[in-house]
Amino acid sequence: MIDPADAHRKPLPVPDADTRAYWQGLREGRLLLQHCRACGAVQFYQQALCRACGAEDLEHRPASGRGRVHAFSVVHRAPGPAFRGDVPYCVLLVELEEGPRMISALTGGDPMAVRFEMEVELVCEPQDDRISLPKFRPRPGTRA
Amino acid sequence: MNDDATLRGKAAVVGAGISPTGRVPGKSPLALAALAAQRALADAGMDKSDLDGVLASHAFASPFHRFSVAFSEYFGIAPTFSNTLQVSGATAATMFNIAAAAIATGLARNVLVLGADSLLTGLTPDLALRSLSESRDQQYEMPFGIPVANTFAMTAHRHMHEFGTTPEQLAEVAVIHRRHALATPGAQMTAPITVADVLNSGWVTTPYHKLDCSLISDGGAAFIVTSAARAKAIAGRRAVYILGGGECYTHEHIFLMPSLTTTGAKRSGELARAMAGVAPADIDVAGIYDCFTGTVIMMLEDLGFCRKGEGGPFVADGQITHGGAIPCNTHGGMLSFAHPGMPGSMFHFHEVVTQLRGECGARQVPGAEVGLVHSLGAGFATNATTILGTEATL
Ligand SMILES: [Zn+2]
Repeated sequence: MIDPADAHRKPLPVPDADTRAYWQGLREGRLLLQHCRACGAVQFYQQALCRACGAEDLEHRPASGRGRVHAFSVVHRAPGPAFRGDVPYCVLLVELEEGPRMISALTGGDPMAVRFEMEVELVCEPQDDRISLPKFRPRPGTRA
Repeated sequence: MNDDATLRGKAAVVGAGISPTGRVPGKSPLALAALAAQRALADAGMDKSDLDGVLASHAFASPFHRFSVAFSEYFGIAPTFSNTLQVSGATAATMFNIAAAAIATGLARNVLVLGADSLLTGLTPDLALRSLSESRDQQYEMPFGIPVANTFAMTAHRHMHEFGTTPEQLAEVAVIHRRHALATPGAQMTAPITVADVLNSGWVTTPYHKLDCSLISDGGAAFIVTSAARAKAIAGRRAVYILGGGECYTHEHIFLMPSLTTTGAKRSGELARAMAGVAPADIDVAGIYDCFTGTVIMMLEDLGFCRKGEGGPFVADGQITHGGAIPCNTHGGMLSFAHPGMPGSMFHFHEVVTQLRGECGARQVPGAEVGLVHSLGAGFATNATTILGTEATL
């Protein structure tokens, strides 16, 4: 069963065999995407094979860090006590300049001012000595 | 889908039962499941010794990973076909499709299809939410504090952005469901609401207010599925036949959903309709997974009841209630009848089966012959559709 104490701790990712490079990259301030040398597909998240063609020949390249808000939702009722102190916070579905989408959260802006297609840029936020989370802030010159 | 084979008319529901639902303290998921199963057996005129198959959904408030196996021990049976299925909210419809397939291919004769959980009193509210939120990925989603509600909220938000769907149209879904629940004995919610009540009920995760969100409940439901021949012999006109089934799984992570506004329900619905040989206009009554108000609007479009982008006006025009094009969730749905987690969609089956039997009393849809149930879950990651019909539709 679930330990009630766990509900008060924010869940941090535990890198696995597929994703060690990804989390190491974020630690160094880079959001790594996988580029397939066989078919050219660009994918998020990291895995052992290209999702399009099955090739294992994948190259990690840093993303530009620029993207747009494809969708968002401002959380007012937190999923458990660990996030209760953060509300309201804005969960973002960011479409990266390179094509892939990812889930993130807004940092350094007004969550209630987020709009569809708003331009955002990457901020790597350290959580402990191991994990940095890829968050996004409004790009300078855009309102939020 | 295998074009050379079909489930159409091979199996039928001959028994249906629901446990006490809503707030049911002191009853474990296994106890609720057993109460529902006893009622389904009584409805079918069968004894537990007649059961040789058990399919069940997972229960969050139960310590048993093999719920169907634990249930069989608890209930005192030893089936020769059993599984515990886990495709989140879509599990209900998959169980009916798989039960029909097992019967059609000789794996089982009489299958108990079962789901029960006690999310309201069996878990604290925080842990209930937490258990749902943990169904999101721990590396790419959960670190950002994304509850399951948030994934559905983003799809509805995008739908509003692309098609102009309004908060009032979303709220109207909740109002209709509440009105339906008021006519259903045993519904958890018993007070009428207005659009203004929904819009003033406080944000949960934009664009959803509290009353745009489904309930948290205790309860369970059970069904007996058997072969068409046996159904005809033991249930006569009360047998409800499985005419078609379809499923579709387009992604696991919400960020890999191909489109936020057109879901896998489009494909699962097409497959189910093709097998059943029906068009959307042939369907008289529907049970549509209503975890959130916007979910219903998107499903009406993807299941072909109205055009893409027109779900909001369709609802506002009265098309999903009595007298409309497709009365939906006439029991009140998960928004107002009950939502004990994965079994939530089982009550849609109970209602559609009862409608097709003509036994819904004051809320009966006149002449209902063909019914559809669509179950879905995990931010539209999982979709499953079942089409049911009376003897006259065979
Ligand atoms: Zn490739």
